[in-house]
Amino acid sequence: MDALVQLSDVTKRYDDGKSPAVAHVTVEVGPGESVALMGPSGSGKSTLLNLIAGLDRPSSGTVRVGDQEISKLSETGAARFRRRQVGIIFQFFNLLDDMTVADNVLLPAQLAGVSAARARARLDELLASLRIEQHRNAYPARLSGGERQRVAIARALVNRPPLLLADEPTGALDSATGAEIGELLLDLNSSGQTLILVTHDPALAARYARRVIRIMDGQIAAAVAPA
Amino acid sequence: MRAIRTALRGGLAGRRVQALAIGLVLLASAAASQLAAGLLAASNAPFDHAFAAQHGADAALTVNAAKASAGEAAATARLSGVTAAAGPFAEATVTVSAAIPDTPGVVFQAFTLVGRSSPDGPVDDIVLTAGHWPTRTGQVVVSRDLADTGSGASMSPGTVITLTGVPGSPKLTVVGVGVSVTNTADGWVLPAEMTALGSPPDGQMLYRFASAGSGAAVNAGVAAVRRALPAGAVLGAESWLAVKAQENQSILPWVPFLVTFGVIGLVMSVLIEVNVVSGAVTAGTRRIGVLKSVGFTPAQVVWVYVLQVAVPGVIGVAGGAVIANLLAAPVLGQTSQVFEVAPQSIPLWVDLVVPLAMLALAGIAALVPASRAGRLSATAAIATGRAPRPSHGYAAHRLLGRALPLPRPVTLGLAGPFARPGRTLVTLAAILFGAVAVTFGTGLGASLNRVGTDMALAGTGHVQIGLAGQSGQQPSPGQPSAAVQQAEMAAVIRTQPGTLHYVTQSDDRSGVTGMAGTASVTAFAGDASWIGYALISGHWYGTGGAVVNTSFLHATAKRTGDTFTLTDDGRAVTLKIAGEVFLPGNDPQILTNLSSVEALDPSGASPQMFYVALRPGVNAQSYQNAVFAKLGPGDYHQLGSGSGVLLQIISGLVLILTLLLVIVAGLGVLNTVVLMTRERVHDLDVLKSVGMTPRQTITMVVTTVAATGLIAGLIAVPAGIALHHAILPIMGNGAQTGFPPAIYNVYSPAELVLLALTGLLIAVASALAPATWAARARTATALRTE
Repeated sequence: MDALVQLSDVTKRYDDGKSPAVAHVTVEVGPGESVALMGPSGSGKSTLLNLIAGLDRPSSGTVRVGDQEISKLSETGAARFRRRQVGIIFQFFNLLDDMTVADNVLLPAQLAGVSAARARARLDELLASLRIEQHRNAYPARLSGGERQRVAIARALVNRPPLLLADEPTGALDSATGAEIGELLLDLNSSGQTLILVTHDPALAARYARRVIRIMDGQIAAAVAPA
Repeated sequence: MRAIRTALRGGLAGRRVQALAIGLVLLASAAASQLAAGLLAASNAPFDHAFAAQHGADAALTVNAAKASAGEAAATARLSGVTAAAGPFAEATVTVSAAIPDTPGVVFQAFTLVGRSSPDGPVDDIVLTAGHWPTRTGQVVVSRDLADTGSGASMSPGTVITLTGVPGSPKLTVVGVGVSVTNTADGWVLPAEMTALGSPPDGQMLYRFASAGSGAAVNAGVAAVRRALPAGAVLGAESWLAVKAQENQSILPWVPFLVTFGVIGLVMSVLIEVNVVSGAVTAGTRRIGVLKSVGFTPAQVVWVYVLQVAVPGVIGVAGGAVIANLLAAPVLGQTSQVFEVAPQSIPLWVDLVVPLAMLALAGIAALVPASRAGRLSATAAIATGRAPRPSHGYAAHRLLGRALPLPRPVTLGLAGPFARPGRTLVTLAAILFGAVAVTFGTGLGASLNRVGTDMALAGTGHVQIGLAGQSGQQPSPGQPSAAVQQAEMAAVIRTQPGTLHYVTQSDDRSGVTGMAGTASVTAFAGDASWIGYALISGHWYGTGGAVVNTSFLHATAKRTGDTFTLTDDGRAVTLKIAGEVFLPGNDPQILTNLSSVEALDPSGASPQMFYVALRPGVNAQSYQNAVFAKLGPGDYHQLGSGSGVLLQIISGLVLILTLLLVIVAGLGVLNTVVLMTRERVHDLDVLKSVGMTPRQTITMVVTTVAATGLIAGLIAVPAGIALHHAILPIMGNGAQTGFPPAIYNVYSPAELVLLALTGLLIAVASALAPATWAARARTATALRTE
């Protein structure tokens, strides 16, 4: 099986000259896998996620997603890659407050130049499957945390990306809502969606990921363990 | 206090871009407002200020050296009522011809030459605008008024002038150009030079009197001097009030446009500064909430934020003061030429008051939002500071996103201004003022260009050649008589290849029934309608008719269609006013056909000017050169516009001031966009994270101000034209003239379209840099925080 995500000897060093945030990491994630990057705060797991998303560039090493070497993409190339190849879910949702739920979800499709009719059809499908149809014209500020995260998931999936990245997706939610969102991600993975999840919660990692990668001080600390 | 210092240090270090933006906007605003205030100060009674600064002479007397000795003249300095005196300086009136390349035949018939050992003294300082004071004989400093010869050429240092009326025709080299506020001479040489002129020169005495505020007071002072000298010793006296009246006539037309630019500059500076500073503090509302949550009182919060603005603000206004003074040199140098006074500079009080006022304004602009945020609860401030107030712009996002078939980055940008409507309005106003300045400046430049063309009668591309006898001048000693010169000129022009046709002009002065004084009567021997005189109203005259200038209509209370009667030595001629001709100045002028006024002068008027229309393809300069080459010695001279150089200066000034205002408007937009991108860094990162490319980011950011710029531009065009149409008549009043319609109608449709895009251009050009920074910035950690 060819890997969907390949990190080869990746190091990320920030300008402040301290020890690298990520050092010599080599990881592969196959299509349809569900992988949790786990570690304490400051361990480098979010940096790793940003590198995979093309939000950041490695200081050395290569990052490949599918047949694209992300680390060599220009800013424009990285943006196009994000539109089509990845969907990102953040801990604090990162919805645009001045747009309705529908507009937030449609945004990546509009930026990608998807036709209005196709984008609308996909919107309807996602809002229905995520059970937030009734909030279509609401503004994010009026929604609960769980509803906001569902909107964020819908936005991440609108362009049908092969890879879904989730950075502490339940971190800002109460445990019941967190569990609900976790189940949702699990369902998505079951339907073939590749998922890389960042969390510091071992229980969440164990429950929702099929593979856990432990990170400590920017390095892979534990052997990859099947869930 | 330590806490305030810590918070201040953190605020400045953590918001370097914002501090830079505040510093920059204060720099630009302070520089623009200081320059604008300097311009307003320079336009306020420039003659009076120059008169005080240069110790102008209340009266300049010419004393006959044969009747009063130098000692007797000098003794008048001690008369009661005389507070200061200078002289006697040797004075002579001579005829001068100047050798200016490509401008043959520049002759000054009555050139007042004065011998002074230095430009300074207790009365009438001569301010040198070029070169130096004579250091030996053979050198001369010429008056700046005369340095611009009226032919479009200038007498600059190095020019050689010949005293043609003096035995031996001595030559002097121009070594400097000077300005006497009371125009006491046309040229200054060392006293030793005057003794070489042959006939004993007269003496020039310059006085300041204890009382010189009125004509009567000056006359009383002059009378006291007359009494103290032998009878008939005082040949002439010129009052400073006469000079002031004459100078003000030159100054008045130009004051309105300088004041307009000054006021626009001031208003723009204030708007931009308040916009950026208050915006910067409002952007810090969240931080204010955090400060309050750790125990800062509202007063401490206000202190932190006022100081946070004050630190870059002080640096900004200091830099602005330096820039303003650097820019003032060329700008006020040009205004001084327009006002015919010595070079001006920004007054000290402006240097002190304006930066302080701009700093105080910044403080107030920071104080208001900081006080408001300081009064909020900590949680409310944090919530408020996170995003624009709820509901603002939401509907716009929704409508624009769905209604317009435009790319999403464009609709996102178009919705941007609705998030901060107040800031958008102020940005719109700043761009509007800049675009109004461009529309106004473009129109004014075109109008002045047209005025120059009309005044020089240059619209038809003909050649004008003047003869001795023009304006009552007599031929120079040693030159053929006026009649001989006229006959020779006519013969040469008739036979010169390239001549299409010509008409001669005769000038005289006549009384007008019902009008005090006399009017200038210009009579043409033939059809003169082709020469290019612009008509304000009515039509060119026919038999028994005349066209008159605005001054004539004012002086006689007549209108087009009325008749008037010219009188001369008991003879009278009645003419009908066919139209109002564009001839600025307070001298009533009449243009008519020679046959219509022949009855006033049965002996026949002799021509003093030839207007020659050239065949197509004939070069005017080559034609003139050929004519001058064929003519024998004589006082022939080519003519040009006397106001040509001045109009060039004014046009240059209009261009500089317009550019300055556009730059200020652009800086205002730039800072607003910097502020906006800083505020919306989180949203920008979100958009990038979902696939917005750098180009789309630039498009979105630029579009945020583009619509504002476009609207400002569209409003600016009618506003600028209205301003142009409002200011021109005021300038015309100063010059005692109306303007022909062509001087108002200077905006072509293509220009109007371009001018309408000015606001858009200012906005886009100014937003490009911050938009590019926003696009290039790496996606920040903002995505991980809430």
